[in-house]
Amino acid sequence: MRNRTKLLLLAAFALAGAACLLFRGPDGTMAAKAPELTDSGALPVQVLFPVSAKPNPGAVGMKPVVFTHKLHESKVQNCETCHHTGDPVPCTTCHTVEGCAEGNFVTLERAMHATNIRQVKNGRTPESCVSCHTKLYSQRKECAGCHSIVKPNHNAQWCAVCHQKVPNMTQEQFAKGVAGKLDPMEGMRLAEATIAARKEVKYADPTKMNYRMVIDSLVDKYEPNYFNHARHIVSVERKIKGNLLAKAFHNSPRVFCKTCHHHTPALATPPKCVSCHNSRIDKKYPGRPPLKAAYHLQCMGCHDGMQVKRPRKTDCTGCHKLRVAQKGD
Amino acid sequence: MNRRKFLTFLGSASVASAIATPSTAKASHTFPYYPESYGVLHDTTRCVGCRQCEEACNEVNHLPKPDKPFSDLSVCNTKRRTSATQWTVVNKYNMNGKDVFRKLQCFHCQDPACASACFAKCFQKQPDGSVTYDGTQCVGCRYCMIACPFYAPGFEYNEAWDPLVKKCTFCKPRLDKKQIPGCVEACPMEALTFGRRTDLIKVARARINNNPGKYLDYIYGEHDAGGTAWMVLAPANPKAAPIPPDNPVLAGPEFKQLGLDTHLGNQPMGELTYGALGIVPMIVAFWPVLFGGAYAMTKRREAMHKQALEQTEREAREDIALAVDAAVRKIQETEGEGAADRCRKAMAEALKARETAAKHGEEA
Repeated sequence: MRNRTKLLLLAAFALAGAACLLFRGPDGTMAAKAPELTDSGALPVQVLFPVSAKPNPGAVGMKPVVFTHKLHESKVQNCETCHHTGDPVPCTTCHTVEGCAEGNFVTLERAMHATNIRQVKNGRTPESCVSCHTKLYSQRKECAGCHSIVKPNHNAQWCAVCHQKVPNMTQEQFAKGVAGKLDPMEGMRLAEATIAARKEVKYADPTKMNYRMVIDSLVDKYEPNYFNHARHIVSVERKIKGNLLAKAFHNSPRVFCKTCHHHTPALATPPKCVSCHNSRIDKKYPGRPPLKAAYHLQCMGCHDGMQVKRPRKTDCTGCHKLRVAQKGD
Repeated sequence: MNRRKFLTFLGSASVASAIATPSTAKASHTFPYYPESYGVLHDTTRCVGCRQCEEACNEVNHLPKPDKPFSDLSVCNTKRRTSATQWTVVNKYNMNGKDVFRKLQCFHCQDPACASACFAKCFQKQPDGSVTYDGTQCVGCRYCMIACPFYAPGFEYNEAWDPLVKKCTFCKPRLDKKQIPGCVEACPMEALTFGRRTDLIKVARARINNNPGKYLDYIYGEHDAGGTAWMVLAPANPKAAPIPPDNPVLAGPEFKQLGLDTHLGNQPMGELTYGALGIVPMIVAFWPVLFGGAYAMTKRREAMHKQALEQTEREAREDIALAVDAAVRKIQETEGEGAADRCRKAMAEALKARETAAKHGEEA
């Protein structure tokens, strides 16, 4: 019986564990399940409210943001990327809607959306949600192709990606949240419900679109270019498969169309390039590239961003063969 | 006031007016800035160095074919200059570790230095924006080549008879036919945007604003050298913080990597020379009158002096003649005809001897 004390201790621990598991709340229901905390100890999903120091009796404000802390935590190097002071407190501690002295009067809106952040010489330059996302889509080569041509339109649809409607949220809960007094666990349940209610957007089927296009309106020195329309879309889709940032923000089925068919609603039959880009300079629109340049800027702009090595930009015959009847260059 | 004092005064007055002329000429010099003039915006972030512009330039201007074909892109690696047979060249520059291509040609300054330096008035800024050259009066001094801050004009050194200055004409003959310049038409990337200069500045600003971090916030040629019709946009340094807008001092080191000088200043180059060269017509017009007048005055005084001298001489001679005549007549009355004749003869001989003596004295 040399191990009696040890055994007794073990048994006591086991009992305590069982008691913990079997503990029921006073109303007979299971107590709130201990949340699966993230590595850092934060709640995995949260609702970020526009916290204001001012009294807000009517509880009006911007829709809160459902934030998956766990996911974002795994994507950054350390906590200081977002918690730039080194103190892991909620953003709204210092950055309120109106701004306060603690946050250097940087408002919550700026703290979340600023992209023109001043570089801090000695120390960490803070990041906002938008600045970090912008950096990602302009640096990752699978994103940078399209996004060197199209920048996200900062419209209501764009806002709604983060500022979603939170189902089941009562007015009181919102009022509490805006005042910064909502129970974090309650917030987490609201966030979970919102995420569960999200609907996945399915991209339009590339096989139902034009398979191959013949770009021949400018045939002169070179033969037409046979553009494999479907292959380009499939290839881009495949490259960003599993990219959650893309999945969240690509919130319309024809989002890929908008890179080339820009400045037009994403229709099944978008207008042709030549509808706007004349082969000659348009006096009314001095900044609009003529057709030849429009093609090249779109093709090469995207290839550049995606770091497509070939065909080289100066290799004309890589895309359209030299016309035999013409004299060589 | 005597003559010497008067001339001293006149001379110093003319020198003073000549010194004072530059400042007045500068103030009165206004160059017609044509608001409707055309320009070209060269976006170096778009240029891929394909040399299509060079080929098109060669073709539309009927220039001699170069030794290396235009498809040989390795020539971009050497820092080439424009010449009489190559009005535009594309060079490769290394900007912060990245290859950037830039097209070189005449910038078609708003107030061209070449025009201000040319005393034969061969260069002219046209209302359409081009700076044209008319070689009919060219003397081949190549002052324009020295004056040009962009080293654009080239000289036909190989031409033995009547060598001329050659440079980009902004395809003036094509512009007159409502066509755009050959290089712009050939550019596959719209790295060259043709349009009204005022529009192009707006286009350039829009590009800078819509693509934060892509461009240096400086339009080269908007104000440089007093403004140029051809303007250049350069890529920003991705590693450095963005520079404040329109700061030639901070943009300078960046543009220097592209072979462009931002220290040309905002003042039109012409203003530096028009003042000094403005005196030339004044000297040409005023100095001949001044010195001609002084010369005429001296000449007239001399003539008057000579006339007066001759008058006294004549009078003296007449006096002597009258006195001799009276003396002879007296002798005739008292001594008779023979004595008078002898006397007249002696008198005439004496006068003659005197005159010859005077003449000899003058000669000696």
